[in-house]
Amino acid sequence: MKKLLCIILFICMLVSLSACNDKKQEETPEGFVPALDTETDCKITVAGNYDNFEALEAEFDRFNEIYPNVKLSYVKLDDYNNMLATVLEGNDKPNIFFSYTWMIGNDQYAPVYAHMEDLSNPDLGFDLNCIRPGLINHDAQDRVMLVPVFSRTYGMLVNNDLFEKEGLSIPTTWDELKAVCDEFKNKGYANPMMGYSLKSSSCFMNTIAYPLFTAALAENPEALKLANKLDPAAGEYLRPALEKVLDLVNSGCINIDECDKIEDNYTQVILRFFEGDVPMMICTADTVSGTKKRESQSEAFSKTPFNYTFSPIPVTDKGGYFIDSPSIQFSVNKGCDDLDMTNEFMRFLISEEALNEMASIKRLVTPTANMPLDSVYAPFGQVPSELTISPEVLGITDPLTVQVRIAAFQVGKGQISIDDAVKMYGSFE
Amino acid sequence: MKKTWIIIVNILIMIALLSFVVFYSDYTNKETIQRQIEHFENTAITMEHVTENYLEGEQRICDVWARYINSKDMTIEEAVSFIRISHVLPNASAHIVFTDTLAGLSTRSRYADSDDYSVTYERTNLLNDLSWIHDIGEAINISRAYTNPVNGEQSIAFCNYITLHDPESGELEKAILLRVLPLSELEEKWVFPQEEFENAELSIIDIDGDYIIKGHSFKNSSFFEFYRSYNKTDPVYTQELFKTITSSTGSISMSNSRSEECILAYTPVTSAGGWTFLSLMPMKDLNASNENWLLIGFVSVGLLILLVFDLSVMQNFNKKLQAAAKEAAAANKAKTDFLSTMSHDIRTPMNAIIGLTTIAEKNLGDTQSVGENLRKISMASNHLLTLINDILDISKVESGKLNLSPLTFSIVETVENLVNLSQPMIKEKNIDFNFRISRMEKEYFYADQLRLNQIYINILSNAIKYTEPGGQVSVDMAEEESPKPGCVRLIYKVADTGIGMSPEFMETMYQPFSRQTDSRVNSIQGTGLGLAITKQMVDLMEGTIDCQSKQGEGTTFTVTLDLPLADRQTDEMTLEPMDILIVDDDEVLLETAVDTLESLGVTAYSARSGLQAIDMIIEKHQTGQDYNVVILDWKMPDLDGVETVRRIRAQIGDKVPILLISAYEWSDIEDEAKEAGANGFISKPLFRSKLYYTINSLLGTEVKTVEMENDYSDLEGMNILIAEDNDINWEIISAMLGMFGIKTERAENGRICLDKITNAKKGDYELIFMDIQMPEMNGLEATRRIRKLDDPWAANIPIIAMTADAFSENVTECLNAGMNGHIAKPIDIKLVIKEIRRIKEERS
Repeated sequence: MKKLLCIILFICMLVSLSACNDKKQEETPEGFVPALDTETDCKITVAGNYDNFEALEAEFDRFNEIYPNVKLSYVKLDDYNNMLATVLEGNDKPNIFFSYTWMIGNDQYAPVYAHMEDLSNPDLGFDLNCIRPGLINHDAQDRVMLVPVFSRTYGMLVNNDLFEKEGLSIPTTWDELKAVCDEFKNKGYANPMMGYSLKSSSCFMNTIAYPLFTAALAENPEALKLANKLDPAAGEYLRPALEKVLDLVNSGCINIDECDKIEDNYTQVILRFFEGDVPMMICTADTVSGTKKRESQSEAFSKTPFNYTFSPIPVTDKGGYFIDSPSIQFSVNKGCDDLDMTNEFMRFLISEEALNEMASIKRLVTPTANMPLDSVYAPFGQVPSELTISPEVLGITDPLTVQVRIAAFQVGKGQISIDDAVKMYGSFE
Repeated sequence: MKKTWIIIVNILIMIALLSFVVFYSDYTNKETIQRQIEHFENTAITMEHVTENYLEGEQRICDVWARYINSKDMTIEEAVSFIRISHVLPNASAHIVFTDTLAGLSTRSRYADSDDYSVTYERTNLLNDLSWIHDIGEAINISRAYTNPVNGEQSIAFCNYITLHDPESGELEKAILLRVLPLSELEEKWVFPQEEFENAELSIIDIDGDYIIKGHSFKNSSFFEFYRSYNKTDPVYTQELFKTITSSTGSISMSNSRSEECILAYTPVTSAGGWTFLSLMPMKDLNASNENWLLIGFVSVGLLILLVFDLSVMQNFNKKLQAAAKEAAAANKAKTDFLSTMSHDIRTPMNAIIGLTTIAEKNLGDTQSVGENLRKISMASNHLLTLINDILDISKVESGKLNLSPLTFSIVETVENLVNLSQPMIKEKNIDFNFRISRMEKEYFYADQLRLNQIYINILSNAIKYTEPGGQVSVDMAEEESPKPGCVRLIYKVADTGIGMSPEFMETMYQPFSRQTDSRVNSIQGTGLGLAITKQMVDLMEGTIDCQSKQGEGTTFTVTLDLPLADRQTDEMTLEPMDILIVDDDEVLLETAVDTLESLGVTAYSARSGLQAIDMIIEKHQTGQDYNVVILDWKMPDLDGVETVRRIRAQIGDKVPILLISAYEWSDIEDEAKEAGANGFISKPLFRSKLYYTINSLLGTEVKTVEMENDYSDLEGMNILIAEDNDINWEIISAMLGMFGIKTERAENGRICLDKITNAKKGDYELIFMDIQMPEMNGLEATRRIRKLDDPWAANIPIIAMTADAFSENVTECLNAGMNGHIAKPIDIKLVIKEIRRIKEERS
């Protein structure tokens, strides 16, 4: 009797207590201590060229748990690269904007650069140490004007189920890659490897050539200097990379005509891969970031889902390279309204927790030092350190990347020969 | 039903009630939400109308400009100048771009160069597809939100085709006029009008889900993308849903980027083909469930309190029922025990009475045997009477109907009666009995004498009963000041050297039928009710009773009562100055007697033995001044009272009056004492009044006390009317009174009695003994009628109740009816004679 009464009263007490705690207690993101008045009412805009930036919007929501009256929004600018300077001067100037390494030292972006705040200023309290040093670019004054939010790498999406189904192993060397392609062809697969090839931007040829060329320059600092100077003498160092591209095309591993059917370098690449008949789809991690969302958009994948990962392309006998370079970077507009709160948000964002979470949502490689990888990126966790290259550390400039991209694209498409491409180094526009 | 089942049933009822409340609350909540959703939808539709009107208004301005430009064959510069003049909004601007190059002029210059009015939409990806721009007046040609290529502001544009004149070629060129409005300005104005929907946000999407105008909570660049990002659903359903959203009016539930449940209201923008107006609001803003939870909480707590309260009450009630049941069982057992005990206790004396009567009938010739049998029958009868009286008393006590009937009485008489009653047993058991009083100054009290007697007699008779032959019983009575105003504290202490009581028995000794289990006790007659009655009586009189006892050593009972003093007290008693010698071996008695005598104004001397007294008397005699009175205790260790008297008389002659004190009846020694020279007797205890009257009597007149005891000549010839319906009772009382020479006449009921007295002459009857329960007219009614008679003699004739109704309230009832006294049946002839004499004295 007493026991029953106690249970009833205990339940009553729990019900009463739960009623008292009706409002869900807000969780403050771990480790972040607000430095400003949490009731501050202001507006912060992040401008960029992503159509969608759900990962960032998730961080907006988390930041709003601390500063509920700060209205954060992401806005996509049309013609971003050309409009950014105008936007930064206008009435509608953003607080934070996407920035790229190639903007540094580029006269066209001098006005943009002039708006960037030095993020290494210790007064701001940003924890830049949480980011891999190879991803942080220091300017001539050792300032950090851009902070990486995601890391980009090059590789290929691998349909693991298809390999398993055909009893084949995922290739880890160049020869294995060629052999696997032959095996797939023999088994009736028309396109053992595919990639975007309509335009040079994000074309598969660059995805193959860039890591090889970067690796070649890493071994020869003099060549790097020449390459950065766009000296045609550096063209010879590009030759091996172009030969690999052409080899894959000529050997039938990649069918350019079929690749040209892929209309864009992002969604269509993913949807083509999700058709399930392509064992290997060459792309960058930026493309991989769109896979999760598009799984449900692909009727073929929804009908027959399969396991896939993103692997380095084994372009050498030792394997493939992990090119660890920033994907997008954020800069703070030092002339914006509410600069204090903008820096507060950046302080919030530049943390392992926030960056890892964003990378997880975006399905990109996190720039943080501890680098937890999404399961899709697991093969990159096995890349040995000697095959990991940080272009920012090497000092590779953007004009160089343009030369590689166009040269590889034109050679792959059969528009020019390798010899021509080597000679033309420094003249591609 | 077991408690557990009751609780389960209660809980089930609670759950049922709570479920009802929850379901009903949920139902009403859903209804409320549904009404709010409808309201929200309607507001969204209204907002769409307002938006549409606004867009139409803005488009109309653009249309007017376009028409005017087209009608005037303007160059691009002229058109821009015209618009610059027409423009009134400070933040708005207009762009005119040629359809072939998507380049042209702006009404506002660039920030970087105030002279630069050029504008190009080549890379903006806004005008690559112009299918959404219709001819003037046909539709609202509004662009999606885009980045103004001149100032970088996020803007929307209302567009129209215009035709411009090319001054160089002289031909007309097709161009697009864009009336550009900053989105920030629009966002400030474009808010939901209802206060209750303050968190609602608006968007307009095109047929592909792409935002034309985008609210803050709407994520992604496409609403469809936004929906897919945060809502798990299959592609087919999603596709259907998007079709529904873009083609009809209604609302759906969806999650936003914070995983909050939201309500999305949608309605087509009718004037813009394919556009849909969206309004999104968190569901929590609609949800009124908090109040319902409060209601549920209150109901839950209320029901729990009710349950706990009911259970407590029920438990309490059950406890009481259990207690009552236990009491009932105990009462039943007590009743059984009582009947069993009564059966035994009544049958025992009845057996003696019947048996001895049978023996007596068979030995009618043997006078001595018959006498002995009759004596034993009398003893058994008395015991039976005591038993019946006790039973009746205890039943009255237990039923709470025992009331006190206070009367003015003399404590002296009470004590005398007490001593008298105890004498036979004291003598029989040869018990050393002492009754001492101390400072007893007041004689008359106003209390229930009958009950007081019962208390005192019960305690004393117990002491005597349980004291073995040769033992001692002493009674000490004293007066003390009472805390109650108008009262005197009377302390009555009875100590004996009897068998004592065990501590265990003492715990239950006041319970009815409690008798100590002891072989010595078993031989003693008793009902086991005496102490219970005594305790109840003492409690009723607001007194205390205390008992100290040790097994084998004796018992001391002390009763303390605060008795109200009667108005009547004895007159001031003072004797003439004289010397009185009092002799007793009891030091306490000696001391108190000396005090009492000195309070009467005499000089009191004391001697502790007969020899000392003789010495003192001789010594006094030799001085020529004898003691005026010598009071001697009869029982003294060395020289008893009679012998002392004899020696005194031998030494000093007959001059000095001598009184003998005795705690016992002195009839046995009367002759011897008188022969020895004693002048009178005085019984213990030595009350002040008793000493006063006895000494006065001794010095003034001869002793009459003893003579009066057996002289009934004063009663001879009295004529008493006896109202008695029972023949045997009539025969008994008639015969008994006849033994004293009293004539009796019978009236068979109250009416006959009334008739007889009505018709009687003055002096025909000196007294009426009136039974109470009689046919035709009872005794009380008859008394009342008699008291109302016209004849003063008849109306004032003494009437004594003679009835088996023996309770105090019966006595009170009789007195209230007008009677002069009460005698309980079975009658004690001594009490009857005493009552007759009292009446005679009062009449005289």
